[in-house]
Amino acid sequence: MPLLERSAWYDIARDTNWTPKYVEVDELFPPDQSDPYGIPVAEWETFDEPYKVSYREYVSVQREKDAGAYSVKAALARSSYYEDADPAYLSMLKLHYGAIALSEYAACQSDARMTRFSKAPGMRNMATFGMLDELRHGQIQLYFPHQLVSLDRQFDWAHQAHHSKNWAAIAGRHALDDVMMTRDAVTTSVMLNFAFETGLTNIQMIGLSADAANMGDFTFSNLITSIQSDEARHAQIGTPVLEIMVRNGRKAEAQQAVDIAFWRIHRIFAILTGIPMDYWIPLEKRDRSFKEYMTEFVGEQFERQLLDLGLERPWYWDIFLEDVETHHHCQAAATWAWRNTLWWNPTGNVGPRERAWLEEKYPGWNDTFGMYWDVMIENIRAGHPEKSEAVGMPAMCNMCQIPISNKGGTVWQARAYQLEYEGRLYSFCSTVCKWIFELEPSRYKTFNTIADRMYNGEISPNTPENILQYMGSGVISQGGRDAHDLAWVRAYDEPGATPRLVAGS
Amino acid sequence: MSSLAVIGRLEKDAHTRIIDVDTDFTMDQVVEACLAPAVGYQARHPKPGAMLRVRPTTDTDDADPFPRSMTVAEARLRHFQQIDIYVSDD
Repeated sequence: MPLLERSAWYDIARDTNWTPKYVEVDELFPPDQSDPYGIPVAEWETFDEPYKVSYREYVSVQREKDAGAYSVKAALARSSYYEDADPAYLSMLKLHYGAIALSEYAACQSDARMTRFSKAPGMRNMATFGMLDELRHGQIQLYFPHQLVSLDRQFDWAHQAHHSKNWAAIAGRHALDDVMMTRDAVTTSVMLNFAFETGLTNIQMIGLSADAANMGDFTFSNLITSIQSDEARHAQIGTPVLEIMVRNGRKAEAQQAVDIAFWRIHRIFAILTGIPMDYWIPLEKRDRSFKEYMTEFVGEQFERQLLDLGLERPWYWDIFLEDVETHHHCQAAATWAWRNTLWWNPTGNVGPRERAWLEEKYPGWNDTFGMYWDVMIENIRAGHPEKSEAVGMPAMCNMCQIPISNKGGTVWQARAYQLEYEGRLYSFCSTVCKWIFELEPSRYKTFNTIADRMYNGEISPNTPENILQYMGSGVISQGGRDAHDLAWVRAYDEPGATPRLVAGS
Repeated sequence: MSSLAVIGRLEKDAHTRIIDVDTDFTMDQVVEACLAPAVGYQARHPKPGAMLRVRPTTDTDDADPFPRSMTVAEARLRHFQQIDIYVSDD
C-alpha cells in the first residue's frame, strides 16, 4: 500500500485534540503543570510550529545524523588526536561534557512535561520530538567522552558532575532546575525553548564548534553542530507559545519568564563558553572573542527575535552587556586561582601576547583583570607557585551560586547586593539575581550555597580538605591543576615581554 | 569569644571574600583578617602605607567607619554581613 505524502495528512493529524468526557479538563491538565495563565484551548489549538516533521521523517533524518556523528568519531578514533591534544583543549571538553551531558537528560524530562501537559496539540507533538532529541543529546554526550575516561579520569565527570556537590555543578543544576525542571509546561517552553535554546545555545554549539574545528577536533566539532541541528528545530516550540501568550494578554508574564531565564542561563554559559573561547583556545586558533560572538548571536539575532514577538529587551540589558565584558573574565581568574575545586584543568595562558589580544578585544583588560593576574604571575616567577592558588573562600551568590566578583585593579566594582528576608541575610552578585529572588522568595529561600553549607554544619568540619572532598574533588578524580603546569608563564622571560610585571606597578 | 563569618569587600579586590573573625577582634584586626587571603595572592594592598578602615557596605559607599578599637561584637556584625575595607583619609 503506498504511503501518503506528509502534506496529504499532516494538517489533519498535527492538531488532533478532544474534550475529555470522564475527567475534568483541570484534572487532565492541572494548571500548575500545564497552563496557569488561563488561555482558552481554542487559542492553544492555533499553535503552529514553524518546522513540521512526521515521526517517519524524524527517524530517517536522525538516523542519518547519528550515522554521520558516530562514523566521524569511529574514523578519528584511530588517530591519536586526544592523546596528543593540547591539555587546555581537553579541559574545554571536560567542562562541556560535565556541565552538559546530564543536563540534556534533564531537558528530556522538561520536554516530556510539555508532551504530557501542553494544551496545544501541535506543541505536544513537537515536544515529543524534542524529548527524543534531548535523549539523543544525553546519550551521545555520554558515549563520546566515555572513550576518554581511560585517557583521563576527569572525563568521568561527564556522568558524575550532576550527581556531585561540586560548586560548579550546583550552579548549573540550580539554574536548570529553576528554568526548566520545576515550572508548568507553558513557562518551561518560554524559558527553555525560547530564552535558553533560542537565545543562548548557539554560542556554545556553534561558536565553540568553530574553535574545535580550528583545533582539528572534527569529532567534537561535528558532534555539537549535529546536536545544534536538533536544537534549531525544537527551540522553535517557544516562539508560537509566546505569540499565543502575547495575543491573550499575557505579555507581562511572558516577558518576566524570558527575563528570568535569559539571565540565569547567561551566567552559566559565560563560564562554559566565554572562558574557553577567550583564554584556553590557543591565540592563533581563536575564531572570535566571546564578546564578538555574543554581540552577533545575542545582541543582534536574539534581540531582533524578541522585538519581532512584541516583547522588549530585558530591563537589565545594559547590565547584561556590561556583564558580557566582565563576568567570564572574573571567573577565568577565579576558577584558575581556585582550580583545585574543579573537575577540569584550566590554563592561565595569560602570556604577553594573549594579554595584548585581550586588551584589544576588551579595552581596559590589563588595568582591571590583568592586575589580578599580575600578582599571581609574580608569585610564580618569584618561585612561589603555591601562592598562585587561592586561600579562603569567595562569597557566593545565593541565586546563581557563582563567586561574587567584579572588576578590580584600578577600579572597585566587586560587591554583594544583600537582602534580608525572614531574618536571613542573602547575598547576590548583581541586582538581577537579587530581583529574581525577590520575585518569589519562597521558591529560593531555603537553598544553601556551598558557602552557606560550610557554616550551617552540612560541611563539617569546614576545612579545605573536607570542602574539596564534599565537592568530589579528589574523590571522582583529582582536582584541577594548571593544564600546562605553568609553562605559559615562561613567556614573560622572553626579551620584549611586557615590563609591567614589576612589583607595585 | 566566638567566631563569625563576614563578607569582606577589600578596596579594588576583584572578589568579595568570606572572612572568619572572632567576635572580640577589633576593627584593626578585622582589616588584617581581610587582607590575609587577598593581598599577595590575587590582590595588591589598595594603598601601601595608608590607613585602612572598616565600614558597613551601603549602596553609596559612604557609611561612617567603625572606630578602630571597636570589636566585632560591639559593632553587632551579623553572619555573612558585608563590610568594606577601604583606604581612609583619616
